[in-house]
Amino acid sequence: MISLRILGLLLTLSVVVPQLATAQATPAAPANSEDSAAQKPKDDDPDRDFNRSQPDFVIVNLPTTLRLPKFKSAFRVTHRFGRPLGQGDFGDLASDLFGLDSGAQIGLEYRFGLMRGLQVGIHRTSDRTIEFFTQYNVMQQADHGIGLGVIASIDGTNNFKDSYTPMIGVAVSRELGRYGAVYVEPMYVNNSNLLPSDLVDDNDTFMVGLGARVRLHGTLYAVGEFIPRSGNTPGVNHGTFGIEKVVGGHTFQLNFSDGFGTTMGQLARGGTAKDNWYMGFNISRKFF
Amino acid sequence: MHFRVLSLIVAAVVFAGTAACDEKLSDLTGPTPNLEPTFTSIQRDILTTGDSSGRPACINCHNGNPFVPGNYTGSNAYAALVNAQSREKPNLVRVAPGDPDNSYLVHKLEGGPNIVGERMPRGGGPFLSSGQMLVIRRWIAEGAQNN
Repeated sequence: MISLRILGLLLTLSVVVPQLATAQATPAAPANSEDSAAQKPKDDDPDRDFNRSQPDFVIVNLPTTLRLPKFKSAFRVTHRFGRPLGQGDFGDLASDLFGLDSGAQIGLEYRFGLMRGLQVGIHRTSDRTIEFFTQYNVMQQADHGIGLGVIASIDGTNNFKDSYTPMIGVAVSRELGRYGAVYVEPMYVNNSNLLPSDLVDDNDTFMVGLGARVRLHGTLYAVGEFIPRSGNTPGVNHGTFGIEKVVGGHTFQLNFSDGFGTTMGQLARGGTAKDNWYMGFNISRKFF
Repeated sequence: MHFRVLSLIVAAVVFAGTAACDEKLSDLTGPTPNLEPTFTSIQRDILTTGDSSGRPACINCHNGNPFVPGNYTGSNAYAALVNAQSREKPNLVRVAPGDPDNSYLVHKLEGGPNIVGERMPRGGGPFLSSGQMLVIRRWIAEGAQNN
């Protein structure tokens, strides 16, 4: 019943959003100075400015503290190919085109700026997990020396019918001039074990997301994440690194991870094995 | 304004927290919906009764018959299982408290590669489901108490 209400809310948003969110387009030149004046307040929204230190709303899987402008939106596709890169020799790997021939866990994500500093979104992965998430940016670095966002999410397996895993946490960021940003994101994940609590010792996970994005040159970045955990800690701690290029409203990222997880529940459940690394990519698009 | 938004988020989080519920044990244990990781429950739902999948009760054979190892009827069952030496594998006990992986009962029910004779129940199944085995493993992992 409760999950239906959440689903209803998100569906309503998905209907309303396309009308509000206009695709990224260069605004037509104003016909006269009055039009120009009318345009000015809209264009002055600092949340619409490109942030060289935080060009996207996620690092690889963890959120950044970049604010999504009010009534604007963004879309992201995640791919995690299923072939471990260490399986077989280099010839085997090359013949599988470095894992691209294998199946992948694919994620589709849409986020929307509900009000200034507040965003909500939905992320679905191809193992039929659906995650609803929200983030409210409480502090901006310009005012407080750090950026801080309250983050919360809930994901459910089997198309949000089974095994609900809620998360609450904060994302703390520190921008390094125009050269990138570092992140610390403590999170508490409830019901991270998919088995009934009668059968498990720990059903919750506390994890600290550590992440960084470093600008290498122009709009080329290196990214990395590591998530140590305590409590219910199956698998291995999630780790990932990659390289990304920002082009206009798009971000293209090639990454290497020790698991397929992209939702918070999946990250709490850890990667597959210590020596298994998988190639993947993220593509995101801002609609503003 | 900020306070209002923050309150909204806190409310949403509390909402999400209450929406999250633990999985039900009965969803896992299938044909034995009342099965729990206690000896009383295992004796009631596994040892002494079959289930709707067609799995027979253990005591159909393990009932003191001298040709079948182990008497799992009534008050004999606990002593015949916990810390009791296996007749087929004398270096193992049927149930090693705290150690399901080294309990011969688990090997026989899961059909491990080193068992002697058939996987139980004999006759090619139906065998215990993975959910039912998780419950038995949990009882053993928690010390195989006589509870």
